[in-house]
Amino acid sequence: MSSENNKKNWVGKPLPRKEEDRLLRGRGKFADDIKMREMLYLRFVRSPYAHARIVSIATSDAEAVAGVVCTLTGAEILPQVQPFIEIAPEPGGKIKDYPLAISKVRYQGEPVVAVIAESPGIADDAAELVQVEYEALDAVVDAEEALKDANILHEEAGTNRVWNGVFEYGDVEKAFSEAASVVHIDRLHFHRFSSTPLEANVVIAQWNPKDERIYYWCNNSFPSFAIQFLSAHLNVHIDRIRVETSDIGGSFGIKITSYPQMAVCALASKKAGGRPIKWVETRSEHNTSSAHGNERTFRDTRVALDKDGVITAIASRHIDDCGAYPRYEPLGCVIWSQVVPGVYRFKNTRIDFTQTVTNKCPVGPNRGYSRMQHLWFLERVVDICAHELGIPADEMRLRNYIRPEEFPYTTPNGCVYDSGNYPKMLQVAKGLIGWDEWKKKRAAARKQGRLIGMGIGTTLDSGTNNFGQSQIVNPGAPFSGNSQGANCKLDIYGEVVVAVGSCPQGQGHETTAAQVVADVLNIHPDLITVRTGFDTERNVHTGFSGTYASQFAVSGLSAVHGAAQKLKAEMKRLAAFVLETKEDDIEFGTGAQGPELRAKSTGKSINYWGLANIVNVNSAVLPVEMHDVTLNCRYIWRAPFKVPDKVKKYGNLTLTYASQLHIAVIEIDRDTFIPRILDYVAVDDCGTVINPAIVEGQVYGATAHGIGAALMESCVYDAVGNMLTSTFSDYTPITAVNMPKVKYGHIETPSPHSYSGAKGMGEGGAAPIHTISAALQDALFAEGIIVDDSFNNADSLFRAMVGKEIGQAAKLVTVERRP
Amino acid sequence: MYPRAFHYHRASSLKEAVTMLSQLGDDAKLLAGGQSLIPLMKLRFANPQHLVDLNFVPGTSYIKEEGGALRFGALTRHAEIENSATAAKIPILHDCAAGIADVQVRNRGTIGGSLAEADPSGDWAVVLITLATEVRCLGKKSERTVRFADFIKDAYTTALAHDELVSEVVVKKPPKGSGGAYIAFKRSAPVYPTASAAVQLTLDGDVCKDAAIALGCVGLTAIKARDAEAALRGQRITDKTIAAAMEAARAAADPQSDMRGSADYKRALVGALVKRAIEIAVRRARGEQVEVGHIYA
Repeated sequence: MSSENNKKNWVGKPLPRKEEDRLLRGRGKFADDIKMREMLYLRFVRSPYAHARIVSIATSDAEAVAGVVCTLTGAEILPQVQPFIEIAPEPGGKIKDYPLAISKVRYQGEPVVAVIAESPGIADDAAELVQVEYEALDAVVDAEEALKDANILHEEAGTNRVWNGVFEYGDVEKAFSEAASVVHIDRLHFHRFSSTPLEANVVIAQWNPKDERIYYWCNNSFPSFAIQFLSAHLNVHIDRIRVETSDIGGSFGIKITSYPQMAVCALASKKAGGRPIKWVETRSEHNTSSAHGNERTFRDTRVALDKDGVITAIASRHIDDCGAYPRYEPLGCVIWSQVVPGVYRFKNTRIDFTQTVTNKCPVGPNRGYSRMQHLWFLERVVDICAHELGIPADEMRLRNYIRPEEFPYTTPNGCVYDSGNYPKMLQVAKGLIGWDEWKKKRAAARKQGRLIGMGIGTTLDSGTNNFGQSQIVNPGAPFSGNSQGANCKLDIYGEVVVAVGSCPQGQGHETTAAQVVADVLNIHPDLITVRTGFDTERNVHTGFSGTYASQFAVSGLSAVHGAAQKLKAEMKRLAAFVLETKEDDIEFGTGAQGPELRAKSTGKSINYWGLANIVNVNSAVLPVEMHDVTLNCRYIWRAPFKVPDKVKKYGNLTLTYASQLHIAVIEIDRDTFIPRILDYVAVDDCGTVINPAIVEGQVYGATAHGIGAALMESCVYDAVGNMLTSTFSDYTPITAVNMPKVKYGHIETPSPHSYSGAKGMGEGGAAPIHTISAALQDALFAEGIIVDDSFNNADSLFRAMVGKEIGQAAKLVTVERRP
Repeated sequence: MYPRAFHYHRASSLKEAVTMLSQLGDDAKLLAGGQSLIPLMKLRFANPQHLVDLNFVPGTSYIKEEGGALRFGALTRHAEIENSATAAKIPILHDCAAGIADVQVRNRGTIGGSLAEADPSGDWAVVLITLATEVRCLGKKSERTVRFADFIKDAYTTALAHDELVSEVVVKKPPKGSGGAYIAFKRSAPVYPTASAAVQLTLDGDVCKDAAIALGCVGLTAIKARDAEAALRGQRITDKTIAAAMEAARAAADPQSDMRGSADYKRALVGALVKRAIEIAVRRARGEQVEVGHIYA
């Protein structure tokens, strides 16, 4: 038997994923794999208009189709439900959001009628026969236009403005009065894009009349949030809602906001007499009407710099576009403030932040949610100032980065950056890409008239957030802190079974949770079964459970670790009793009869089956004082947060700050205007790494997503709100042929805020978007062009370079130099 | 989405398929590779009442060299052409086949189906119009041969009568000293090009004896850029004549703005693609083995 001194550490090893075998062989169980007796299928009839009044709805032709069970309209559900909870205070809080349009439609693709039939084909046929008469209204698709309130989406709110707040820290005016130079940037724009999970949204719902409970099998990625909204909406006690998730084919945050469709499916089941209803979203539906990422416009930015190019203050006005309904918003209006200064040291800032509705698909928390828009803005500010002042991009960053010795670093708004070393990441990245050699090649190429640019993007992936930040957007919001639950038990025959309140979508939770428990119990991870996937009945969830926002390594694994420690303590106590020795004489390991606990003094041992047997089925041998030993240990981990100061908008909003630094070398072809990535490096720091293979995979995935967003993927609407990118032919998600070879590097600055030193990761901070914008600007600055948009494809580069329509530095940027 | 209900008919010969078409009337469609039709049906943009499946007709998939021409059976898959040493004897055909959409589409999609569909963005028409190509069309009574230039009439419109189908595509081998290339810019593999250019040149020493230049995705059909051809024909291939051909190609293009790019950009792009295709075609005409692939975003 191995002893504790030579125990093997599983945490930190690139253990192959336990879930791989199942998933790669096509044996995963996804929501659409579930088939039930008497199951019915739901198809939505959706609005072809971006903004219209509903004059009439006729469903009788559809209902007459053989195999159609019923239809459901907004008017019909209205008396049965409450509008969904709005997180915003007034005016946004006055918005009434229902899962089927009531009297108006507010975006193309909004569900108007649900058709429920015996087969999906019949539902599709009948949906074509539903007649909806609309009276078209003027649509507003531009955020700044929307704020003029000429066309109001939600009459009950009286304005399109959802939320406004000023985030001011330090002494901004003093910094500007003392500045050696002030850079003005008229307008920057972060485009609307989304995620394209392989599996679209799926909901199966059954409102069972026998027990008056609602059962869900779905792929929502934040079920504990969804059931809070559904319970209030459906007037059903939350304990009567059961949600189970199984394997999920990607979410990237986008599946958090599937609760409206979940509501319709439950109401449809109720109407259909309790038969289970399945709704499987099509790709076009997903592209037009699931959720998109937030679009943001940055106006009237002023940057104060000292004589060395050190930024001392940034003032700006930010307008966020949340689409037709706020849903998870206006949380995005505060979530960006987890990273107010980005990776930089400036102390003085004033951001006037406004969010508006527009006649577009509602947004959802898309990977990098709300922080990436702000981090992109800061990287644009840094690069524009560097170019205008003639400071090299790397040097500019070194002058402005928070220094390694300053961690833990308190930002101007009270967030505590746990650890990091940005100069070292820059050094590693430069080494991997061959920065100095590329500089020479760039100089030689430029002499030949070629357009080669080198760009750096430094970004943050803040994880495990403090829901107390919701009180900054709404002082009445009843949320704060963060928590996660886990259970660790020895089952009757001695199996170690772990349950976690997460619903992974490819993040490898089964593997990393097993690694953590394996180290606690000193056994092989293969001996540990991990139950992931949400199930309200497992009772391991808290109100924050789900998988989102880069936190499992901290919140999830802290809960697992806590539960395993509790189990270990109980096992030790029980073994000491059985083996008639003291607890500190007990060691954990594996012997001839499997995993066991052994008395060092006598050599006597008891295996896991022996321990579990006593507690579960042989309990008469237990003395009364041991009756509290259950070998079934639930642990709730709570993040050490305080409620932020709502007035000053001050406090720690996130526990860990993973960082990423990418460098790209890009050439823009002068004939085709196609940007080609010649070299690319991604350096990641997520603290202590639990599983290097999983981390590396996440970095590649986030890099692909970001490169796609920067060069290929944009949700485009025309002036009247028609969505022009409803299919993959138009949206063109990134594929293997579009990916450059990515060089990967990493450094580790362990977090003092997590038990293991790990930081949440996976979102990646949208590093490629910042990096590609930077490299393109480097290639084009001499041509009088600055990159003012996060989306740049060959066509937009053509319009900047030849059409002179966009990105004209002379129109967008002015530099005021003070003597 | 699911397609609307339809009747499925499996033809056992091309003749039988033609008979079925004539009996079933306008609501019948042929199913070859299905790579355009099935997605359109699933989106319910196409709603045929009858599908006549050609996939079980024997002897419709082949690549043969006969009498100075390559003959392609109508159901020859793009992937078979991509991997065929015979087809590679006309390198521009390999360029085209190897660059159509992605592996899945190439494994199913057919040359005959693609031509009969006549999608304005299809690849084959752009390439075949630069070569001496004939399309064999089988009707109820007879089989006729249509010159490719006369085959595609308009967007989604061919010379085929309703009860006629493509049975074979015949491409004459270009003369000695001829070389060609096909280059497209595609945002990602599965999508249609933003623009494409096919060039087939025949050289006599440094002089261009003959030139065929066609543009794809910048009009309702593949566009034969006759002024661009004239800019090269009888001329030495120099930077100057290439530039003239490029400009003439841009002038011949008639693009529309869409998600693939603005009209102005497509016009600029197609010129650049013509230039590249000329450069490759010249090298190939001189006997050089040159690998060429599409440009992706």
